[in-house]
Amino acid sequence: MKKHSSKTTALLNAPYALWSAVFIIVPLFFVAYYSFFRDGSFTLEYIGKFTEKNNLSAFWLSVVLSVLATVISLVIAYPFSYFLSRLTPSSQKIQMVLIMLPMWMNMLVRTYSWSNILETNGIVNKILSLFGIAPLTMLGSKGAVVLGMVYNYLPYMILPIYTAMTKIDKPLLDAADDLGCTPWEKLKRVIMPLSVPGVISGIIMVFVPSISTFYISQRMSNGNIVLIGDVIETQIKEYYADGGLNVGAAMSFVLMVIILICTFIMNKFSDEDNGGMVV
Amino acid sequence: MKKISKAVFAVIYLFLYAPLLVMIVFSFNSGRSTSVFEGISGRWYTTLFSNSNLMICFKNSLILAVVSALIATAFGTLAAFGIYKLRNKYVSGAMSAVNSIPMMNPDIVTGVSMMLLFVFAGGILHTVNKVGFITLLIAHITFNIPYVILNVLPKLRSSDRSLYDAARDLGCTGSKAFFKAIVPQIMPGILSGLLMAFTLSCDDFVISYYTSGPDFVTLPVYIYSLVKKTIKPDIYALYSIVFVFILLLLIVYNLLQTDSKDKKAKKSKSYTATKITAIVLSLVMVAGVSLGVIFRKESDNTLSKLKGDYSVEANPFLKYSNITLNVYNWGEYISDGADGTLDVIAAFEDLTGIKVNYMTYESNEVMYSKIKSDSVSYDVIIPSDYMIERMKNENMLREIDMSKITNYSNIEDRYKGLYYDPDEKYCVPYNVGMVGIIYNSSIVEGEPDSWELMWDERYKGEILNFNNARDGIASAQFALGLDINSENKADWDKAADKLIEQKSVLQGYVMDEIFNKMGSANAAIAPYYAGDFLTMYEANNDLKFYYPKEGTNIFVDAICIPECCQNYEAALLFINFMLEEEVAVANAEYICYATPNSAARNNAEYQEYMAELHEDWEYILYGALDSDDIFTEYYHDLPIEIRSYYETLWKKVKSF
Repeated sequence: MKKHSSKTTALLNAPYALWSAVFIIVPLFFVAYYSFFRDGSFTLEYIGKFTEKNNLSAFWLSVVLSVLATVISLVIAYPFSYFLSRLTPSSQKIQMVLIMLPMWMNMLVRTYSWSNILETNGIVNKILSLFGIAPLTMLGSKGAVVLGMVYNYLPYMILPIYTAMTKIDKPLLDAADDLGCTPWEKLKRVIMPLSVPGVISGIIMVFVPSISTFYISQRMSNGNIVLIGDVIETQIKEYYADGGLNVGAAMSFVLMVIILICTFIMNKFSDEDNGGMVV
Repeated sequence: MKKISKAVFAVIYLFLYAPLLVMIVFSFNSGRSTSVFEGISGRWYTTLFSNSNLMICFKNSLILAVVSALIATAFGTLAAFGIYKLRNKYVSGAMSAVNSIPMMNPDIVTGVSMMLLFVFAGGILHTVNKVGFITLLIAHITFNIPYVILNVLPKLRSSDRSLYDAARDLGCTGSKAFFKAIVPQIMPGILSGLLMAFTLSCDDFVISYYTSGPDFVTLPVYIYSLVKKTIKPDIYALYSIVFVFILLLLIVYNLLQTDSKDKKAKKSKSYTATKITAIVLSLVMVAGVSLGVIFRKESDNTLSKLKGDYSVEANPFLKYSNITLNVYNWGEYISDGADGTLDVIAAFEDLTGIKVNYMTYESNEVMYSKIKSDSVSYDVIIPSDYMIERMKNENMLREIDMSKITNYSNIEDRYKGLYYDPDEKYCVPYNVGMVGIIYNSSIVEGEPDSWELMWDERYKGEILNFNNARDGIASAQFALGLDINSENKADWDKAADKLIEQKSVLQGYVMDEIFNKMGSANAAIAPYYAGDFLTMYEANNDLKFYYPKEGTNIFVDAICIPECCQNYEAALLFINFMLEEEVAVANAEYICYATPNSAARNNAEYQEYMAELHEDWEYILYGALDSDDIFTEYYHDLPIEIRSYYETLWKKVKSF
């Protein structure tokens, strides 16, 4: 009987194991190959490009801006998710869809729309001028890029935190009340520790796309800010045949390794079962 | 506490929905800008319903999102069940780790790595088009599955296993027990996985960009190729309809729920408020869609003055059905049937029965890379002069059988046999243009005539430059009187220094943003292509244009047949069709660039149309071409050392 069931288990796992081997693992070998080989012989030339001054500064700027975007998203998403998890189940469902809904209109269009809002003659400045505030130059600044990141990836922060919060047992919270916890203590001693896995997933899911973005920086910075994603994109898209594919692959490879190490460390802080993003 | 909660919700939703509200407002703009509101009109809704290309891309996006989400959900649920049943800790750990890779990896790495795989696999299988619908679908399924598993697995873990065991004991087969006992328990997880997969598929652009081909172009890929030409409000109109439609569904769902649950709630204020919103939204949507459908100008695709012969008798190969022609062109670079114009692609399809797959790119380099990557075989491409030179030298172009291009005589002689194709074998000119400087006459004083205007301290923060290495650096080269095709690195250094000097007065490096920025006076000075000035002038009549006295860049975009072409005869037929007077007129009016087609240029209807755009249209489009007073220079293809040298300089300048 036991043997039978392990056989079915293997059979159940085989299709996806095969799928992910072919479409997830093998492609990464291609990236590694193009990063380290030129015409079949090993080289460190491409990986070395990462340490060029321009590329390194692009990388650091990406790190700084995406960390900032992640922190801001967390600060916004945390209370929001908390309030969300206190609503009635049916309105929670509606709110969930409302949060995902903007993402059905592709990010390109929404980011484009934001750049118009932040223009010198844009809506924000028009509103400010009603209060006699002189127009601010927002588009083109680092702040605008961070805003773009927060805007695009905020739902990725809300979903896992919210899920973690809905998992907290109601009796546990009642018990805290009964034992005379103030709301602040309840938050600090019960809710916060139990929502850590959600927070960690959220941080990863905002940080990763932010650090590798290129469209947001292109749109929101007037082309004044070059992030590592821009470097990779330009190399692969425009210099493909001039070795750009190799350089782009090498930079992607370094970026991937750095991100994987970071997420590995982050996951050490979280419990094993941190899955689940939506109800 | 309740007040705080309400405030937090209000702020977050305002933030999330602000760009969508702006989008809806500008979809009713009467002008073509997405930043200056000129007046209310349903113009873009009518345009939308007559723009077949946009509608096809939208349909494709929808199909892709639905199909990939469904498959990923089914596949992911099974995979989650498999992982759930695993007893071996190491195996299950490995599965989870692999599963998290697509989530941890930047999209660009996922996209590129999959493209490399597909190109490699296609090479082994000898397929002609190595990326297309199937690869795109595989890519979307692959990045969607992990999210499905992430939603389903926790539900499985908290599900009641004894139900499954009981079902098995009562004689159910494994799969029956799974569907009867497990699925109902984990249904919420499956549904949220489906929702998540659908959402991610809709939102994705980067991965699609690398894994899709011309047979199945999705909306985001199409939109991204407009980088040179700007997003028009018809895309806003499309998304507004989608948005309002979904919102309505939600509201109806919500109302139904309240109805069935609670009679008292019916009388509450919020209930009435939702009902009113629903009615207002439905009205807006019905109005928008019906305006669009009723006033849609059907493009009239019958052509009366064709000179070429497109009959089956003259082209015996047309007997074979299922001929598909892959055309790769610049974004917004062909008349597409919007506002009653000629839909060139549809007209060609109607005439010949050939099916055209139309895909767009945003720069010569992107097109060249795509062909080099060997992922797709195109039949017709439209590169610029220097790129034709490079592709010809690298044996990437096929000779064009000019005896079949009977309309070649329509092309003016001065555009034939230029440096990149002296023997007139490889290309047929499509558009000609020059770079000039556009300025806002209500801000800029006097009558500027030099590139130096772009360094003028008085207009600090009002100046834009090109966001691509070659054009950006050329502005400094012309200002300094340097050769734009110099092979001396020191010359490029000087130009880079000049650009660094410009940074203190520069607002930014942009491409399509120039249209909106100049149109809405968010910037006052920008170099761009002469033809595009006419489009900007439509939005802002204060704009003026001049050719700088130091000289400027001239370009010819010409139709070529790449070596990878699969339908040579169909490609020739297409090229000949593009040179027809009526077709060339429609394209010239739509694109607004100078046409090398003398039949089109001398066409009375064309001249009338252009005169309506701008009284000085002849000088703006053709002035510098017709006279020798203005020094003009073509780009030439440069050796790879110089190319990578100026690319590094450009990066340095931009991040200075």
